[in-house]
Amino acid sequence: MSVVTEWAQAFMSPSPVALVIAVLLVLSIPLFLHSFVFRASGLTTLPSILLIGPSGSGKTSLLTLFERGKSAAQTHTSQSPISAECHLPIGTSASSDKYRSINDPTALAHKKFLLLDTPGHGKLRHHALSTLTNPQNLKGLIFVVDAASLSAGDEGLRQTADYLHDVLLLLQKRMESKNKAVKALKEIPILIAANKMDLFTALPAALVKSSLEAEITKVRTSRSKGLLDSGIGMEEDGDRDEWLGEMGSTEFKFKQMEEFDVAVEVSGGNIVGE
Amino acid sequence: MLDTFEILTTSGVVLWSKSYSPISPAVINSLITNVFIEERTLPGARIADDISAANNPPYKYEQHTLKWTTVKELNLIFVAVYRSLLHLSWIDKLVDNIKTIFVDLYGDQLKKPNTTIVECHFDEYFDQQVKELEKNAINKDTRVAEASALEEAPISISGNLGDEPPPMPGVLSRGQSKNIFKDLTSNESTPIATPDTSRPSTPASHILTGKSGPGGKGSRRARKAANTPVYDSSGDESHKKGKPKASGPKKGRKWDAEGMADEDSDTPLDYSAPANGATSGEDESRPRTVEGVDQATWGSKTGKGQFVLKDLDDQVHLILASADAKKETSTAASTGVFGSSISAIGGLFRNVVGGKTLTKEDLDKAMKGMKDHLLKKNVAHEAAMRLCEGVERELIGGKTANFESVQAKIQTAMEASLQKILTPTSSLDLLREIDIVTSPSTLSLQKKRPYVISIVGVNGVGKSTNLSKICFFLLQNKYKVLVVACDTFRSGAVEQLAVHVRNLKELSAREGGEVELYQKGYGKDAANVAKDSVTFAAQEGFDVVLIDTAGRRHNDQRLMSSLEKFAKFANPDKILMVGEALVGTDSVAQARNFNTAFGAGRSLDGFIISKCDTVGDMVGTLVSMVHATNVPVLFVGVGQHYSDLRNLSVKWAVQKLLSSN
Repeated sequence: MSVVTEWAQAFMSPSPVALVIAVLLVLSIPLFLHSFVFRASGLTTLPSILLIGPSGSGKTSLLTLFERGKSAAQTHTSQSPISAECHLPIGTSASSDKYRSINDPTALAHKKFLLLDTPGHGKLRHHALSTLTNPQNLKGLIFVVDAASLSAGDEGLRQTADYLHDVLLLLQKRMESKNKAVKALKEIPILIAANKMDLFTALPAALVKSSLEAEITKVRTSRSKGLLDSGIGMEEDGDRDEWLGEMGSTEFKFKQMEEFDVAVEVSGGNIVGE
Repeated sequence: MLDTFEILTTSGVVLWSKSYSPISPAVINSLITNVFIEERTLPGARIADDISAANNPPYKYEQHTLKWTTVKELNLIFVAVYRSLLHLSWIDKLVDNIKTIFVDLYGDQLKKPNTTIVECHFDEYFDQQVKELEKNAINKDTRVAEASALEEAPISISGNLGDEPPPMPGVLSRGQSKNIFKDLTSNESTPIATPDTSRPSTPASHILTGKSGPGGKGSRRARKAANTPVYDSSGDESHKKGKPKASGPKKGRKWDAEGMADEDSDTPLDYSAPANGATSGEDESRPRTVEGVDQATWGSKTGKGQFVLKDLDDQVHLILASADAKKETSTAASTGVFGSSISAIGGLFRNVVGGKTLTKEDLDKAMKGMKDHLLKKNVAHEAAMRLCEGVERELIGGKTANFESVQAKIQTAMEASLQKILTPTSSLDLLREIDIVTSPSTLSLQKKRPYVISIVGVNGVGKSTNLSKICFFLLQNKYKVLVVACDTFRSGAVEQLAVHVRNLKELSAREGGEVELYQKGYGKDAANVAKDSVTFAAQEGFDVVLIDTAGRRHNDQRLMSSLEKFAKFANPDKILMVGEALVGTDSVAQARNFNTAFGAGRSLDGFIISKCDTVGDMVGTLVSMVHATNVPVLFVGVGQHYSDLRNLSVKWAVQKLLSSN
């Protein structure tokens, strides 16, 4: 019993050791908590660009080309997303930099950005779509398509148009989202990169654009006529607007997306080959 | 010979590859899509992660066979491609060894974030492994066959043949080995049988060495490189064995039979001591040398590495040996009481705070709970097992996030897993597919023809009801539909459809759809009726043909076999199977049997899961059927009305499956 009281006395008495320990604890706990809680969020993330597109269009290839600079690595079907840190060449300046001095030393440094690659396989597209619904410093999208598989009546054209339709619809509805990060995407440019232009059957960029527009028109109408989802009524906003682009328009044009601050541009090129 | 060996990441970047003869990238792409993404191979094949390639089923694509293994924490895949015709017994070991070496050498580089570049100079290591294993394999090919013969023979030899199975198919090796055994016995007996010549055996042994010299050259080098001392010792043993026999008399030449035998056992000692070393061992010493080589490749450093690649050899062996040792220590992990209690407290703390590295033990209990939960949701046992195994495989070795419990982690992983299994590979827009067939674009060379949908299923699941629901949906979209009654068996089936068609006609009269019934009465062959109806529809300009079939029990071979003919005659664009949500474990067998019933090259195109409104949250049948066949669910039936047909919303299904009431 006496031992217990002795201990209690020693514990309660204002000894210098106890004081030092108390002060140390008081000072260190906030520091410890801060480091523990904020470690995960890390530094500000680099501006990122999302690579998106159907399987086999050349997304991973493009990523490696950007990263390595000289030539793309050999690639296979992706199963998981990957990000790579890439540099803009020296001398490229953003439009927001136009008021900077020419002698500003930052212009001479490489500008870094993150390129996010996503798997294009039908079962794995949720990776890409979740990046869109929960973006982190997302600056733009590159939708890679295989220009050689976009001829009329081709299965590839349908798959591509389906995917592009879904992505555009998601972006169009981003303002309705409750997620703040999504709303922060004020303007988002999309580059439709028509890959594999070195192939004989590849369509030129202008034709890629028009055939995608035509196919998206079809997707849009058939979606509007299709059956309801089994999950209807699961979310509160029952009468969601599922129509992509301008209401009542008979034909879909990428221009209609500008209303929603989504600028779409098509350009051709090839990652491998001459 | 190998065609290609590739090391790639799950994100699709090839880190290193070696190609002996170029193969199409489609070979490996199809491995990835079928095995890894769609998981078409049967479950249970990959329970643990770091298992050897031998336990992963080989994947065959056209004329290539692919052997593969993965390293999950580094997201690596190792694939070896070779022609299916070749029988390469050492591939498994090559893949495993390469995996160990590569991870050891470049593991650090692979963990870096935000980069795909891995600096590797791996060619030498790979070549060394291929050379070594190939040589060992050549040795073993001959030896194992012979050794197995010895095992069969009355002389029992306690040779540990290592864990390599005999590479040749059993029958062949047995036949060969018997011959060899005969040779051996005849060799032994010849000197006794012909005692009159002085040294009949010595020239014979010379000839023997001469013969086997060139053949055994490779093996000799390999063995020397591998481990000479072990061989020597075994050679010594065989010498010793010979000695006691020869001990008695002096080595003078005796001309009687016994003396001759003595001399024999001596003369080979004199003459063929080097020869014995050169040939791949003649009798008892053989299995021991095999053992020696095995030990050398796996265990200690070689004493005499006279190879050009000596240092590389050593390094590789060191890596392999240390990996082995690590494996052993990890299996026999035993820490002191103090250490274990500390780690237990740490584990408890981490359980709450997060950042805990998950092991199988941590997961087991929670996984069992998850499995029971799935079973309660009417998921078939087989499918639940597969899902749980998949989740477990994904989580073991991972870490929980801050303030995340193990259960929450499993929940999210299961959600992702369910989403993956239910999401179709390609979009399922029926209307667009019909449009493409019925009004093909002018550029494509296809002719306009009706789109044919046929509906199959077990008795009483709602084939006719769902057919009329689809018909109603198509009529709303202004198609001209022909309904075909191919149930020529059950009385009243045709009349039932006629009633549906009459109703639909009335309903759609205003909307502009058009529907007709095609029927030929009872007792006719369903396949012929279907064929005739399709030609009729093409003539009359119908857009869609909907074929109703008779219900059949999925394990009745007689009824199921007629489906193959049906599929061939009617040639439907879509074969949909109706399955009811009420069915339990049987759903897997139903789906599987129907999926294979249409003959090679034709399978189901989609499921309609009917009666989903009657089961509440227990929509496990969806998962079971997709699990069994990898065929997507096209529609779900949610009520009694014509309009109660829905597309499957994956989110909805996953939410129902994981809801806990």
